[in-house]
Amino acid sequence: MINIEGGKEMAVIEVNNLTKDYDHGRGIYDVSFEVNKGETLGFLGPNGAGKSTTMRHLMGFAAPQKGNAKILGMDCRKEYAKILKSVGYLPGEVAIPEGLNGNGFIDMMQGLRKAKNPERIKKLSEIFEIDLQQNVKRMSIGEKRKLAVIAAFMNDPEILLLDEPTSGLDPVMQEKFIEFIKEEKKRGKTILLSSHMFAEVEALCDRIAIIKDGRIVSIVEAAEVKHGLRKIVEITFIGIEDYKRFLNEKFEFERMNEEQLKVDIVMEDADVNKFLAVIVNYKVAIFVENPVTLEDYFMHFYKNDKKFGGVTNGKNNKHQ
Amino acid sequence: MEKIINISNLTKDYGDGRGIFDFSFDVKRGEVFGFVGTNGSGKTTTIRNMMGFIKPQNGKITINGNDSWKDACEIKKYVGYIPGQIDFPDVGTGTKFLKIQADFLGIKDLSYMNKLIDMFKLDTEASLNRMSKGMKQKTAIVAAFMSEPDILIMDEPSTGLDPMMRDKLIELILEQKEKGKTIFMSSHIFKELENTCDRVAFIHNGKIINIVDRAQHVENMDKQYQIGFAEKKEYQEFLKCNYEILNRNENYNHLTIKINDTEMNKLFKTLEPYNIRYINYQPYTLEWYYTNIIEKQEV
Repeated sequence: MINIEGGKEMAVIEVNNLTKDYDHGRGIYDVSFEVNKGETLGFLGPNGAGKSTTMRHLMGFAAPQKGNAKILGMDCRKEYAKILKSVGYLPGEVAIPEGLNGNGFIDMMQGLRKAKNPERIKKLSEIFEIDLQQNVKRMSIGEKRKLAVIAAFMNDPEILLLDEPTSGLDPVMQEKFIEFIKEEKKRGKTILLSSHMFAEVEALCDRIAIIKDGRIVSIVEAAEVKHGLRKIVEITFIGIEDYKRFLNEKFEFERMNEEQLKVDIVMEDADVNKFLAVIVNYKVAIFVENPVTLEDYFMHFYKNDKKFGGVTNGKNNKHQ
Repeated sequence: MEKIINISNLTKDYGDGRGIFDFSFDVKRGEVFGFVGTNGSGKTTTIRNMMGFIKPQNGKITINGNDSWKDACEIKKYVGYIPGQIDFPDVGTGTKFLKIQADFLGIKDLSYMNKLIDMFKLDTEASLNRMSKGMKQKTAIVAAFMSEPDILIMDEPSTGLDPMMRDKLIELILEQKEKGKTIFMSSHIFKELENTCDRVAFIHNGKIINIVDRAQHVENMDKQYQIGFAEKKEYQEFLKCNYEILNRNENYNHLTIKINDTEMNKLFKTLEPYNIRYINYQPYTLEWYYTNIIEKQEV
């Protein structure tokens, strides 16, 4: 199904000038990006920025006012039924009909997709430790999420649209999920992943797109960002003399605290031997590291200076 | 300190080993108490018992002296609650919902509510059924905190929030803690528990495994460092040096050691002659606790 043009593979997922205006400044505007075959694109942005709206257009649930979304060259709105065969979708919010047990729900989903994969379902339910005999009504939020995970992966689709996949999963499951996706990546899957969890973005994504107020503001290579992250170590000295003497050493100081006899310095791995040669001449009380994470790097994209109207006691609450 | 939430021998058995069994603990006035555990371990069941939505089979919960089942209505007057899954009544916009809640709680002065709306950058004019998961969560946070209740009970309050908003929530929790409020919350985000909680209870398969005092876990702990060597020979030499080695990897010439702060200078002296590729500090965190305590229960 992949079109090849002049030796270069076409994007598997393509979003072109996608626009959907819900008024009051809500919606998505001129969103464009593509995900190439075998690539994982991270989709980050503040709450309400338009991540889920974009995903829902890719599933054909919403009609764009302008632009289009394509998967495998097919229009997501017009040819959603054909596309569905190749796509696994994990929605941001999971609503599973009650009254069924896990198996009942899985059977229903298999029926909708006209597919049967009992072995893969068994394997998935073992990996994610879910009891499919259990009634959906009795399942906790996390267990319902696990059920949705199985439904998204059971037909082994080549394209995965994952909307905050690990939200609501416990830390052990989060880790299992990341390992599972790593394997899927190795098998050549194309993945669009929206997330607020930087651990999973760091572990999985090849590129990262940032959406803010409905517009794409940045698309970066993950490797480039990771390379730019600097390691900061925090050293607490035993005596004030050592603390003061250390300030004359040739390091890049990030922070100093004389009261606590504490300094933060930049220490790249390449400098560690140079650092050791210096530090043996000092009496150190505590040595810890403050890792700079992707979260720190991207935090400024989450700043929001928008003013929303508050709630008043009067009858008219017009948006300001 | 006065015990404000008291849970004794709480049991709710759903059959097949599911449920909560013989939970006993208490939360003191002014304390922030965290609740951690695997999916399906009973966190939400406990919280729903506290709010009087479920009747315990055995044992009881009192909040401020009121029985959580019999006096459920009374309790709701001074407890702010954020449910694990948010389903708003179909009343139109966020503004309408918040006004209904304010009327119900008898709030006349809306200034604190508006402060929260601004703090969380909440667009209240959006229709509730059009709201994204994060926006709904923010609306629920405003609704729970706007009356500045004495007690807050929250089931994974940061679910779906972006990192900036998670930080705002931590800020708000600390602000309310400062005012002497009692806060009980479940969470999977260790950062927010570490920054806010005085104590954290770990639960697994419906049983309380451990209750950890934060002060005790942050201090009095040895530290772990992962050290990468450039040369195999030096890596092997170091192995003979009498440090407590937690794990090692011959292929990468790296190892993890556990040492006390008092030995730090000795370690630097040992390492100084070697060609070191990196030293990574591996913090003992609640996450470490979690994976080492909870995961071992699986076996």
